[in-house]
Amino acid sequence: MIQVNNVTKTYNLNKKQKKELQTTANSINAVNGISFECTPGRVFSLLGPNGAGKTTTLRMMSTIIKPTSGQMSIAGHNVESEPERVRAKIGFLTGSTNLYDRLNPSEIVDYFGQLHGMSKDKLASRKDALFTQLGIHEFSQKRIGQMSTGMKQKVSIARSMIHDPEVVIFDEPTSGLDVITANSIIELIKRCKVEGKTVIFSSHIMSEVDLLCDDLAIIAKGDLVYSDSMANFRQQFAGTSLTEAFINIVNRNVQH
Amino acid sequence: MNTVLTVFKKEMLDTLRDKRTLITAIIMPAFLIPVLMWGMGAVTKMVMEKEQNKKLTIALMNAPAEFVALIDTAKFTVKQGYDMATGRDEILSDSLDAMIGFGEKFSKKQADMGQSKVDFWYKSTNLTVESRLSDIVEKYEESLLDDRIAQLNISERTIDPILLRQHDIAPPKEQFGKTVGGFLPYLFIIFCFTGCMYPALDLITGEKERGTIETLLTVPASRFKILGGKVLAIALVGLAAAIMGIIGLVVAARFLPDMPEELSGMLVSMVTPKFILMLFIMLVPLCFFFAGGLCALVVRAKSFKEAQSIVSPFMMVVIIPAAMAMMPGIELDWKTAFVPILNIALATKEIVAGTIQMPHYIAIVVSLVIVALIAMVTSYKAFSKEGMVIK
Repeated sequence: MIQVNNVTKTYNLNKKQKKELQTTANSINAVNGISFECTPGRVFSLLGPNGAGKTTTLRMMSTIIKPTSGQMSIAGHNVESEPERVRAKIGFLTGSTNLYDRLNPSEIVDYFGQLHGMSKDKLASRKDALFTQLGIHEFSQKRIGQMSTGMKQKVSIARSMIHDPEVVIFDEPTSGLDVITANSIIELIKRCKVEGKTVIFSSHIMSEVDLLCDDLAIIAKGDLVYSDSMANFRQQFAGTSLTEAFINIVNRNVQH
Repeated sequence: MNTVLTVFKKEMLDTLRDKRTLITAIIMPAFLIPVLMWGMGAVTKMVMEKEQNKKLTIALMNAPAEFVALIDTAKFTVKQGYDMATGRDEILSDSLDAMIGFGEKFSKKQADMGQSKVDFWYKSTNLTVESRLSDIVEKYEESLLDDRIAQLNISERTIDPILLRQHDIAPPKEQFGKTVGGFLPYLFIIFCFTGCMYPALDLITGEKERGTIETLLTVPASRFKILGGKVLAIALVGLAAAIMGIIGLVVAARFLPDMPEELSGMLVSMVTPKFILMLFIMLVPLCFFFAGGLCALVVRAKSFKEAQSIVSPFMMVVIIPAAMAMMPGIELDWKTAFVPILNIALATKEIVAGTIQMPHYIAIVVSLVIVALIAMVTSYKAFSKEGMVIK
């Protein structure tokens, strides 16, 4: 379960940043009083154009940054007062497959399993299961630096799922990936849903959203401009394509 | 502690697989000094030998026959009949190595027991010319002096009233410590710093540049422990670099050919268990001081390039106090004992010389531990700022 209640993230601007953003304001709200809820067993999609505040929201959920105001709780734990408990419950994956080039998949997954405090036996059996599921065994001793993007993405999945998290946070997980590799992520999201996990993913690819999500929220320039179930969204915008509907909602609110 | 060890083990594995870090931190310190010592020694010896044996072409003006007789024609080609202007031009154009001009009234003045001028033209860029010809002139002057002493029928002692007898009673170990001993800490301090620098860039900025920091910060471990594991790994590589530097130096002294026997003997005898222990106790906090300080500096950099430009000026901050310890007159006292880097350099000199005072040593170790803690707290504060760790 993810609960976001009136969350704002404000960044103070220095002189250089003011000049870059062409503003005289001393601060800027990357996220502005947003509220929504993601429930277990359902896939929640956070939609928005570049710079809308999607990554900021997901980073606050994963405790990398703190909200300036508002409440955010993940699996019953507050992100500000219990960050380590939150982190124990989440799996975090981004589209850019960033791993340690000089290590091999086995070493990387062991490292993250150990950092999650897993016992040796549990780590070994979970790693074996994930490697079998994702087909990593055949290249488990090969260094990351010598791997293809697809192989790396599989290792990234194993790395973020090793501790069997309750809540899974994906930040544009398919961005920059070819269709075959992107498909491994789509399959993962489907599997997480079946396993009853809470899944949130950010995207701006409507076909993915259409395929996977049960609930969606659209944010633009830090404001939450739409939040409902996917079924209601489809009904509301029947007759127009989903991409068109998304563009209309964003444009309408940005112009306002 | 488990998290710190997990991060430490992973970082060590990662670092030891990085060729760049291995070369700068381990291989270079171990081989640079022996190679430099051997190379410099061999090249200097070769150049000096060549210069000493080179046949010089010299011109003489009005030279007395006794002087000409002192010149070994196997080593010098003597030319006569030059005037000052031609001689100078030929020296400048390198067709002549030097010219010695005696005054026209030289013999008469000498007979009257007066003083005569002898002009000597040469180029100081021509390494051995000055010393080789001065030697001949001095030899000739000595013979003139002997003649005068004989003529005047006086004892040599009459014109040399003082016989200075110098007695340097400083033990060889102390002499060695206070001179060559200053060079030793200069080396291992620099190696220690560069040893820490590359892993710090790789494990802090590299993690940011490659985008792996974000996933690392989503594990249920505190940033303090994650940084702790990293600092531990960085400090250990720095320590290894310093130790490899010292080993390299001692091995070079022991096994390299053409090393002065006194120097190699001293260097080898310097490495006693007491010296190793005392040095090690100071090196450990120094490594943590460098590791913590470097982490605090590079954590704000977004790329390797930026991190290198931040760190490079600090290299000077390390080199200057380390080099100051080699200067004469800078001694270990209650003021210098609290100047980081300079204190460890001065203390090493004193340890080698065997003149270290325990209160000074304890003060240095305590002050190094304090600055190391300050550096680590600063790096933790920098690492905790959310704007600092996210690209």
